[in-house]
Amino acid sequence: MEEKIKSPMGFLLILPALSVLGLLYVFPLVRAVWSSFYDRAGNFTFGNYIKVFDLYTRDIIYSVLMTSATVGVVLAIGIVISSYLRFKDWKFLDYMYRLPLFIPFLIVGHAMRIFLAPHGTLNSLLTRMFGVEELPGISGSWTGLLFSFVWVMTPFATLIILGAFKALDPAYVEAAQNLGASKLRIVFDILIPLSGPSIMVAMILTFVRTISSLTIPLMVGPNKPNMITIDMMFRVNYFNDWGVANSLGVISYLIVMGLAIYYLRYMVAERGGIKG
Amino acid sequence: MKRWVVVALVMTFLVSLAIAQEDFPIKVKLRMMVAGDQNMVDFFQYEIAPEFEKIYPNVRVEVVGTGPGPAGSRQIIQQLEIERDSGKDKWDIDIAIVHEIGAVWALQEGLIRQYTDFLSAKRLAVRNTDEIALGVNVDGYVMPMFHSQTAIAYNPRYVKDPPKSYAELVEWVKKHPGKFGYNGIKHGASGISFVNGWVYWQSKHTDKFLNGPYDKKYEEDWPQIFAELKEFNKYVTMTSGNAGTLDMLNRGEIWMGPVWVDMFYTWMREGRMDPSIRIFIPAPGMPGQPMHYVIPLKAKNPDYALKLIEFVSSPKIQAKYIVERFNWYPAIGDDYVAPFLKKEVLESLYKDVKQKDLLEYGKPFPLTGYYEDILEAYEKWVEK
Repeated sequence: MEEKIKSPMGFLLILPALSVLGLLYVFPLVRAVWSSFYDRAGNFTFGNYIKVFDLYTRDIIYSVLMTSATVGVVLAIGIVISSYLRFKDWKFLDYMYRLPLFIPFLIVGHAMRIFLAPHGTLNSLLTRMFGVEELPGISGSWTGLLFSFVWVMTPFATLIILGAFKALDPAYVEAAQNLGASKLRIVFDILIPLSGPSIMVAMILTFVRTISSLTIPLMVGPNKPNMITIDMMFRVNYFNDWGVANSLGVISYLIVMGLAIYYLRYMVAERGGIKG
Repeated sequence: MKRWVVVALVMTFLVSLAIAQEDFPIKVKLRMMVAGDQNMVDFFQYEIAPEFEKIYPNVRVEVVGTGPGPAGSRQIIQQLEIERDSGKDKWDIDIAIVHEIGAVWALQEGLIRQYTDFLSAKRLAVRNTDEIALGVNVDGYVMPMFHSQTAIAYNPRYVKDPPKSYAELVEWVKKHPGKFGYNGIKHGASGISFVNGWVYWQSKHTDKFLNGPYDKKYEEDWPQIFAELKEFNKYVTMTSGNAGTLDMLNRGEIWMGPVWVDMFYTWMREGRMDPSIRIFIPAPGMPGQPMHYVIPLKAKNPDYALKLIEFVSSPKIQAKYIVERFNWYPAIGDDYVAPFLKKEVLESLYKDVKQKDLLEYGKPFPLTGYYEDILEAYEKWVEK
């Protein structure tokens, strides 16, 4: 009896949260998928997807590669910083690595564009210091974009990884140290494996934030190929073509969803393992 | 209970104070929606609204910006469609400022009214932008706010004798690889404008692109045209946007590139641009565009809307704000504006590009159908 009354009450309690989720997330999602199958005159069509594959296949591959590269570099740097801060308490680094977290994407994009330009701040500095003239600029190329992405995304990932490293029971680390393990070995054999889920979270969040970023690729990225987001904006702004834009959106959902499913499975297995 | 009475009394007192403050009771709220960059919203909010409210103290002007590019216009049209579908007698928007494409959309959807018969400033317009927009007859429905134009900027330190046409530009670029820069089509409209100009130059059917009719058969020779553009691009630096081109010009990384004239002069005045850089429009011309005032079909205050448009289109305001403050080309003939301008302002605006150049080489953007096809052709044949 008690149980039966409880459950509708519980449902009522989560209803506000659920309806916000439904209204702001599920509804637009369904609508995006829906409208990706309609042309501008309102007829059902696969034409949008055909156009996407005709025009934007390279951009999609480029976006995935770019994002994966960003995730890879971010993880590497994040783990190095976290490991260092796990063993040594260096206040300066501890504050500095968080800095990019507080700078809006738009500002980063503009700053990087000027910093990395052929006659930009970086090259002017190098020319003054070493007297090398006419260095190539990397803004407006994929290397510049990668550099900017890594700069922006690293602090967030590091924050998660460092948190996980610090939360580990120090007994494991001390035991390993007593038995004579080097710090490198401790990082690879103890810290990283035991923080697997957190690193995974850092990876997925970095991936999602990178692939959905518009301002930075728009300002720093190369003119071609373009990230998916730029193509979506272009389609909407210049063609008022929501069909193709939504098809591109659906494709990026699918890419991200693949990751999410993998992550959920992994988490479930992990939880199950701990329980058993 | 008592507390409520006190609160009510205080509120009444405050409200009556607020009302007493106003010399004139506000009767009319003139709501305008503005597509375009922030500078256009600022123009109305901080310059025009206060001046207009001085003349008509019973009016308050409310300005809402919807953002740059055709997307901004699109949003206004959608708003008007919602008003129409709601079946209301009076719509909430009194004036809208839209791109040419926005005016065409609005006209085709029957969302705007004819008003320029009652507008005396219309007689001062000298270009035909108030009659034709993207090949569509809009006569009676629109009044231009200003004209903007794209041109090629160059740095005379490196370029002594700039090319005068697209054909000469191609020669020049081959001799100076990497020194001409533009921003493609996805990073701002100055690049789009350059590409449109390229098609105007190469195609035999430019007239059709500008005046219609729309037919795919006029696009037959495009693969060849865009193949040549792709070849041209090999000698070109790609910049990251309208501002990116100006930045690279400033730093001497490129020597030449297409820019919006108003943006160029604004940067110049703000000291963000190397003052020695000059501009020209290459033959056979590059596109520019006006922004248009439209009055919604069932606007609540069409009379005041008309008065505001009349006010902003008057030679004095055109001179003071449109030309001097914002560096746009006026919506009305220069002869009418000139008496109200300081000599140096007029000279600086027409220093490089003369008014006859504008009339000769200032082309409109092509019809929507061709415009979209050009962009897609670029994606297909140049970018891929």
